[in-house]
Amino acid sequence: MSFASIHPNPIRTLIRKTFNAFMTGVTTAAALFSTCVLLLVLFYLASNGIHSLNIGIFTHGPTPMGTPGGGLRNGIVGTLILLGIASVIGVPIGIMGGVYQIEAQGHFAFIVRFFTDVLNSIPSIVIGIFIYIVVVLPTAQRHPGQGFSALAGGIALGIMMIPTVMRTTEEILRLIPSALREGSLALGATRWRTMVSIVLPAARAGIVTGIMLALSRIAGETAPLLFTAFGNVDFNVDLHRPINALPLDIFYDATSPYEYLHHQAEAGAIILIALITLMSLGARWAVRGKGWQSN
Amino acid sequence: MKRFNRFGMCAAVAAFAAASIIGCGSKSDQTTTGSSAPSSPSATSSDQGLTGAGSTFVNPVMTQWTADYLKSTGTAVNYQSIGSGGGITGLIGHTVDFAGSDAPMNAQEMAAAKTPVIHLPVVIGTECIAYNVPGVPAGIHLTGPLLAQIYLGKITHWDDPQLVALNPTVKFPHATIFVAHRSDGSGTTFIFTDYLSKISPDWKTTVGNGKSVKWPIGLGGKGNEGVSGLLQTHSNSIGYVELAYAVQNKMTYAVIQNAKGKFVSPSSQSGSIAADGVTIPADMRVSITNTPNPLGYPITGVSWLIVYQTSPKSAELKKFLTYVVTTGQDATTPLSYAPVPKPIQKRELKLINTLQ
Repeated sequence: MSFASIHPNPIRTLIRKTFNAFMTGVTTAAALFSTCVLLLVLFYLASNGIHSLNIGIFTHGPTPMGTPGGGLRNGIVGTLILLGIASVIGVPIGIMGGVYQIEAQGHFAFIVRFFTDVLNSIPSIVIGIFIYIVVVLPTAQRHPGQGFSALAGGIALGIMMIPTVMRTTEEILRLIPSALREGSLALGATRWRTMVSIVLPAARAGIVTGIMLALSRIAGETAPLLFTAFGNVDFNVDLHRPINALPLDIFYDATSPYEYLHHQAEAGAIILIALITLMSLGARWAVRGKGWQSN
Repeated sequence: MKRFNRFGMCAAVAAFAAASIIGCGSKSDQTTTGSSAPSSPSATSSDQGLTGAGSTFVNPVMTQWTADYLKSTGTAVNYQSIGSGGGITGLIGHTVDFAGSDAPMNAQEMAAAKTPVIHLPVVIGTECIAYNVPGVPAGIHLTGPLLAQIYLGKITHWDDPQLVALNPTVKFPHATIFVAHRSDGSGTTFIFTDYLSKISPDWKTTVGNGKSVKWPIGLGGKGNEGVSGLLQTHSNSIGYVELAYAVQNKMTYAVIQNAKGKFVSPSSQSGSIAADGVTIPADMRVSITNTPNPLGYPITGVSWLIVYQTSPKSAELKKFLTYVVTTGQDATTPLSYAPVPKPIQKRELKLINTLQ
């Protein structure tokens, strides 16, 4: 029932079909391009970094400068600790904020949502400076030499997690059929009980996906850690002391003039990607087949 | 039961982190016994270790010091090479226990620090003029004024008549000189610009000296690491880096004409000679560039560790600084630095003892 069938015009049809074919080609090329870039990155890392991966990378800290050897232990452990701190801050606040958006759909909720989006788009370095000013410097004033810490780094990353977790939680909760909620309420459950026992479990898979998205995003952040977690050449698990992180290691190693550090940077990149993939797969596996949203 | 699964992920992340802490914690060199309260004073302070930041110039020997110090005393010293400017800012903000800097703190910075600071020379270093020009061998001759003209953008090609006249046997390519300098607040820059200001009136009036200056031309790299990296990845490049970086990375560097007209190669020895006979004031803030000694290398500088006269960690600082200016000096020569002259070391020990 298109216009073409009412007014057949072979030239127009030809133009339309040509344009259609052209645009199909262009969009396909764009899609292929992005895939190719990803594949190239992975291929480059795999082909260059795989030789650098050895057990020493996981068990050793850095050597004195210019002495080949050493590893990324401090950065790997540091990144895990930082992600842990960030999750403790970002996950509860994010989920509860998302629940608020759904439950209290007032004018204020709209304002909160707007500010969450703004927070999401703030460059990570700005979050870093913010934490430097409100956490690192005041701490250093009270305890000289103790401003930079794993906690400060974790807080910076945690803040960056909040908007992603909050918005995905909200979007997922929105997808839960209201019949489910109404059924629970009709059976006499309180709003609290309905949310905690019915709605949130049903949205579990989606919420976990949101958390994983947020974690993957912050796991590779370097900028906000430069003046919060600061980096550490020594092995450290004390949350009040500076701590190293994989992205910091990758940054310093890759820009250093030493060949062996370049290899370590490549190994670090592989480890970082593997870490994120493993966490993501693990999370999917943990919530497999459960909840209303099936993956 | 179902509702607890929701927390499974957070728990998994936390458990993952915790497991790795425990797993690797056993290898940790620091043993924290008793309560984990981190900010309780003095009693636990020896477990705290020290945090320092600053100069990348000193970093090759600093990483050696901190590794050796950890091995022999069990105290962890975390030094981050972020540039001298960053180190001084950190000291002023009390985010670090000590700063490493190749430029002494200026009056403005001393005022910002509010309480008195102590400058301790820990190493003498030579700054080499490294270059990466295909076909050009190591050790080309350069003079201070020529270097100033290159960095002012007045000499733009490697086959410039002045360069050829100085090096008649070298076949220079007709290629644009890629000038590399530091992008961060840098003591290495301070030494370099301090030298150029002494040798070239033109440089002194148009650019001047400082930890970061307004460069007429060139591309900036972060830290000595960054400049070394730039030189390696860009052909026909020239840049100034601490000698240890050039030696460790097998970079080619120039022989520089000193104040007495002699061409001298940077080395531990020529740096040591440059520092020889210089009167060092009581506060240890001194410039030793453009040495009058005919065997001294002209672009030589002092690297300081800067600490507050009074600090809650003075006991640990005293121990570490004493180690650096005594035993630690043995590590300097193998890394192409020169040790601090013995009489200065004695004066420094006295200064270190005044820390409280």
